[in-house]
Amino acid sequence: MTPAGCTAPVRPRVVHLTDVNDASLGSKIVASVVETHDDLRPLYRVILALGLVAVFILAFGFALLLKFAPPGQRSGYRAEVTGVYLYDPSTGSIAGSPMTRFHRTQLFAARVAWEKLPPDMLVSARWTDSLDDESGTTQPTPTRAGSLARQEALVPVRASREFHADLPGQYTLTVVRYARGQPVELLASARVTVLRDP
Amino acid sequence: MIRQAAYRRRWRPTRYLLAATIGAALFLVLVLSSVASFAIGPVPMRATLFGLPGVGFMAAATFFGVRALHDQAAAIRGRDATRAVALFVAGMFMWLAVLDVYTFTREAGPAVASVCAIACLPTTAVGLFLVRRFDRNEKEPWRLVMVAALWGAIVSTSLVVWAESLWDLLFTATLVPGPAADTSAAYSAGIFEELAKGTALVLLYLVMRDEIDDVVDGIIYGAAVGLGFNFMESVAYMTHQYAILAPEGLGVVGAIGQWYFRQVVGLFFGHATFTALIGAGIGIARQMPQLRQRVLAIASGFLAAIGAHFAWDAWQAFVLVGSSSTQLLLANARYVVVIGPFAAVVLLLLVMGQHVEGSALRRQLLAEAATGLGAVQRNEVAVLMSPWERFLARLAALGRGGLRAYLRLARLQTAQLHLAMERWHRERHEIEQPLAAEEALRQHVLQLR
Repeated sequence: MTPAGCTAPVRPRVVHLTDVNDASLGSKIVASVVETHDDLRPLYRVILALGLVAVFILAFGFALLLKFAPPGQRSGYRAEVTGVYLYDPSTGSIAGSPMTRFHRTQLFAARVAWEKLPPDMLVSARWTDSLDDESGTTQPTPTRAGSLARQEALVPVRASREFHADLPGQYTLTVVRYARGQPVELLASARVTVLRDP
Repeated sequence: MIRQAAYRRRWRPTRYLLAATIGAALFLVLVLSSVASFAIGPVPMRATLFGLPGVGFMAAATFFGVRALHDQAAAIRGRDATRAVALFVAGMFMWLAVLDVYTFTREAGPAVASVCAIACLPTTAVGLFLVRRFDRNEKEPWRLVMVAALWGAIVSTSLVVWAESLWDLLFTATLVPGPAADTSAAYSAGIFEELAKGTALVLLYLVMRDEIDDVVDGIIYGAAVGLGFNFMESVAYMTHQYAILAPEGLGVVGAIGQWYFRQVVGLFFGHATFTALIGAGIGIARQMPQLRQRVLAIASGFLAAIGAHFAWDAWQAFVLVGSSSTQLLLANARYVVVIGPFAAVVLLLLVMGQHVEGSALRRQLLAEAATGLGAVQRNEVAVLMSPWERFLARLAALGRGGLRAYLRLARLQTAQLHLAMERWHRERHEIEQPLAAEEALRQHVLQLR
C-alpha cells in the first residue's frame, strides 16, 4: 500500500502517446510512459523524523531557558550603576568623573548604589570583556547587598595575567540577583569601551 | 533548453506571485537595514561612494523596467523586464556587499579584512567544488551555485545582523548572563540565520523549480548558501579576533585560529550542514504531489536546520570539556560530536536521493533507447550512468578529436541526461505540457551527435 502522493500512480507498463499539445508535431512524437518504480517514502519519512527531533531539541532548550531564567522572579528592584571611573588598585579608590571610554593602560571600576537594594538581597556584579571572558567580579559571589553597601564595594576590571593590559573592545558590567544558589534576575547592566590605541 | 521543456504548470503564476511577495518583503527589510546601518550603525556616509556602482545598476534597472511597461511588442517587453530584474538583483547584491564590508570588517581595517577574505576564498571554493560534485548525474550550473553562495554571503548576513541585534536588545540583554542568555542567543542565531539562508532556497524553489530536480539538488544549493554565509562570517570573526588581540601581538594567531575552526573543521560541519537540511526538505517537497506533504517537508527541513544550529550554539561549550592540555583536540572533536549526527543525516539523504535518481535515470535512458528515436543508444546507458565512465569517454574523445570533441561529447552527455530527467519528471506527473518540449530536448541531443 502506497501512502497518497509519495509515488506516482501505477500506470500501464508502456503507453504510446502522440503529442496533444502541438498538432504540427503529429505522430512523429512518440513517447513512452513507463511504470514508476522510485519510492520517495523513506526520504519523506527521514525529513519528517528529523523535523520531529528538532522540535524536541528546541523544546528541551526552552526548558533549560526556563530553568536558568525562571518566570516570576521579578523582584521589582533595579540596581543603579552610578558610573565607571578611573581606578587606583593600590588605594582601592576611584577618581575623576564617570567615563565610557578608556585606554588600555587605564584601570577602571564601576560604582553601584548597593544601598538602594534590600540589605538581605543576595547579589553579585561582574565584568566581561570583548571575548566574553570574566574580567572582574565582586567577592565573595554572591553576597548580601547590605554588606557591599557597608564596604562601599567597587567592581574593578582586572587585566588577564596572559596580557599586558586590558584587551580592547566592549566591556559589559552585569549586576544579578541570586536565589536558591543560582542567578535569577538581571538588576542592571552597563557598557564601556576600551580603545585599541594605548 | 531544460527550462523550456518543463514545469508549465497552471498554478505557475501563483508561485511567482508568492515569490514576488517574498522578494518585496525582503527588499523592504533590506532597505530598512540599510537606513539603520547609516543612522545608528557602523556604516559611514562615504559608503555611498563605494556603493555608486550598485546605485548605477538600480538606475539602469529602473530605466529598463519603465521601458518594459511601455514596450508594445511582447518579445521586447519580456527582454526589458528580464534585464530590469537582473540589474536590480545585481545592484542590490553590490550595495549590500558594501554595507557588509563596513559592518563586518570595520574593526581591523580594510587591509586585514582583505587578507582574511583572501585566506577564506580557496577553502570556500574547494567546498563549493566538492558540494557540486555530489550531483553525480546532472551537475548544477555554476552560475546558480554561485548565486546561492553569494546570497548566503551577502543577502543573508545583511538580513540577520539587525534581526539578531534587535533580539539581543529585547530578550537576551534582559536575561541573566550565563546559560539563559546563551540559550536565548542560540535561538536568535538558529531562527534568524536559517530563515535568512533558507529564503534563498524557497525563492529558487518558487521561481526556478526546473533547477531543483530532487533532494540531491536541494542539498547542493543548500550547502552552497551555507558555504557563502560561512565565508562572510569567517571574515567577520577573523577580523574581530585580530582587532582584539593585535595589541598583544597575538592578532595573527587569533585570526588563524578562527580560520582553522571555521574554514577547515567547520567548513562542512556548520552552516553548510544546517542549510543543506533546508535544501533537503525543499528538494523532497519538489517531488511531493500534495500541498500538505510539500509544506510538511519544507517545514521539517527548516526545523531541522534551526534545531541543529541551536544545538551547536547553545551546547557546544558544555560538550567534551577537559583539561587545558587536551583543549585543542576536544575543540575539534566537538564539531564531530554535536554537528556530526546532523551531517550524517544529510549524507544519508544524499545517498538515498542519489540512489532514487540513479535508478530513475537508468530506467528512463533505457526507455528512451527502446523508442529507437536515436537520442540514446542502449550501449550508452551504462556510460551515462557513471561519472567515471562519462569522463573516460570524454578523454577518449579528446584523444581522437581534441578539445572540441571533448566539449561536444560533454554537451551531448549533459543533454542526454537532461532528456532522461525530463522523462522522469513527466513519469511522476511533475510537469504538465511535456511532450513538445521533450521533443525539443530530443532534437537538441540529435543535433549534438
